[in-house]
Amino acid sequence: MKRYLRLYLHFLRFSFSRAFEFRVDFWFRIVMDCGFYAVNLILFTLFYRHTDTIGGWTIDQSYIFISGFFLVDAIHMTVFSNNMWWLPLLVNKGDLDYYLVRPVSSLFFLSLREFAANSFINLLIAIGIMIWAIARYPGPGELGALNIVTFAVLIGTGAFLHYCLHLLFILPVFWLHTNRGLAMVFFSMGKLGERPDRIYTGITRMVLLTVLPFSLIASVPTDTLFAGLTVGRALHVTAVCVGMFSVLLFLWSRGLRGYVSASS
Amino acid sequence: MSLRLFRRLVFLEASKLMSYRGDFWITAVANLLATTVVHWFLMRAIFDTTGAETLGGYTLPEIMTYFIGVNLIGRVVRGADLQMGIASEIYDGGLSRYLLYPTRYLPFKYAQHLGAIIPEIIQMFLFAGILIAILGLPEESGVTWVSIAMTLPTLVIANLLYFLLSTPIQFTSFWADNVWSLGVLLRFTSLLLGGAMLPLTWFPESAMHALRYLPFVACCEFPVRVATGEVTTLGEYSLGLTVGLAWCGVLGLACLPIWRKGQLGYTGVGI
Repeated sequence: MKRYLRLYLHFLRFSFSRAFEFRVDFWFRIVMDCGFYAVNLILFTLFYRHTDTIGGWTIDQSYIFISGFFLVDAIHMTVFSNNMWWLPLLVNKGDLDYYLVRPVSSLFFLSLREFAANSFINLLIAIGIMIWAIARYPGPGELGALNIVTFAVLIGTGAFLHYCLHLLFILPVFWLHTNRGLAMVFFSMGKLGERPDRIYTGITRMVLLTVLPFSLIASVPTDTLFAGLTVGRALHVTAVCVGMFSVLLFLWSRGLRGYVSASS
Repeated sequence: MSLRLFRRLVFLEASKLMSYRGDFWITAVANLLATTVVHWFLMRAIFDTTGAETLGGYTLPEIMTYFIGVNLIGRVVRGADLQMGIASEIYDGGLSRYLLYPTRYLPFKYAQHLGAIIPEIIQMFLFAGILIAILGLPEESGVTWVSIAMTLPTLVIANLLYFLLSTPIQFTSFWADNVWSLGVLLRFTSLLLGGAMLPLTWFPESAMHALRYLPFVACCEFPVRVATGEVTTLGEYSLGLTVGLAWCGVLGLACLPIWRKGQLGYTGVGI
């Protein structure tokens, strides 16, 4: 464990020094993400010009929800996103060989080696938006310290699920040799998680809470902040996380077994 | 550039794009499906909560027709915008070969941009046909053959306008090596301010009037409103076309000095 932590600190050092070599790009990405945040906040404000609640949430609750989504997105962009972008290229070019021979977990190395230092600034901005959203909530004290801690933990599991889902849509590259279509499917389906889960009904809601758990990424954590954590929900989130990671590990090992270097 | 070469480039680009048929169809179907599902549940929740028949001048079926129209038409307007072809060529030095060709760079790239939307046009008509056959059109819908014919000039202007919006951003590659983020920012901005995320009638009135004169509306909301028969007077139609054409002129002129200045600093080997 200590070895992996030391390795990750090296990843961070290299990533920051690389990011500062291209200063203009560094700022472009920050501006892009700020634009994304602004567009979504304006969009929710416009929705609430015509209604008092959406999926049972007021505008103040929706701001907390959307800030939770920003935070998960920022964690993903900072920690995983660049690595997810490189993985299909490494598989297709046969460059995965260099990572498979190293004496560390290949999944750990390939998922975490590139840390996006410019997105790290956005992570701080996303945290700032969340603090603003919670502070402007009428009676923030009513949320309760325990609920806030639970919310933070569930946002962490949301980021983990986001990573698992993204990787699951990339792994078919081992067999299909192209994943462009599936990667776009992931981004399209991600839109389902950008809205409160209570607007969905029937089978759509069930799918979004289990098989394709986009609603567990930010919506369920936000609901827990207001309603508190029940044993059933805790078991549900745990079961989905364990299930998704098990499927991921299974497909990863099957993919590596089918990987035949440059001819993949 | 001769018309023959222009046409050849358009079809070459279209066939190149169609070589990834599987990805192309999967992406299009998933995007239309996911977007429609999100809009359907969200709008139903809002209409149910308020109990109103219309919101921002739209009934639930009308606003769904609007969103599906935005999705189908938006893809034709934007084409392969996020591939940032011009920016990549400046970055990796690929621009050098165009400087030697006996042709002008921007018309060449516009021909390629048009080629990239041919498959999108086929998809637009196919998906629209399937959806109308399965779901039908809302009773209040004003979609007619005339409204579809009137949409064609708006689409031509919208497509050129989006290309001209994206070009100066891509020219930034003369000075910075990765401008993809700026392309994404343009996409977000144009979707919100162009009425793709919500019809402009959902905005505050003052903002709505101001937005009508920005280029983004001509790229998105205006063609959709024409197609769905919401633009009923010749005056409104002419105004929409004039705003689009005026912005094409302004952006076309803005591109030239940036292109000239960028070329002066271009080293031919990329950054």
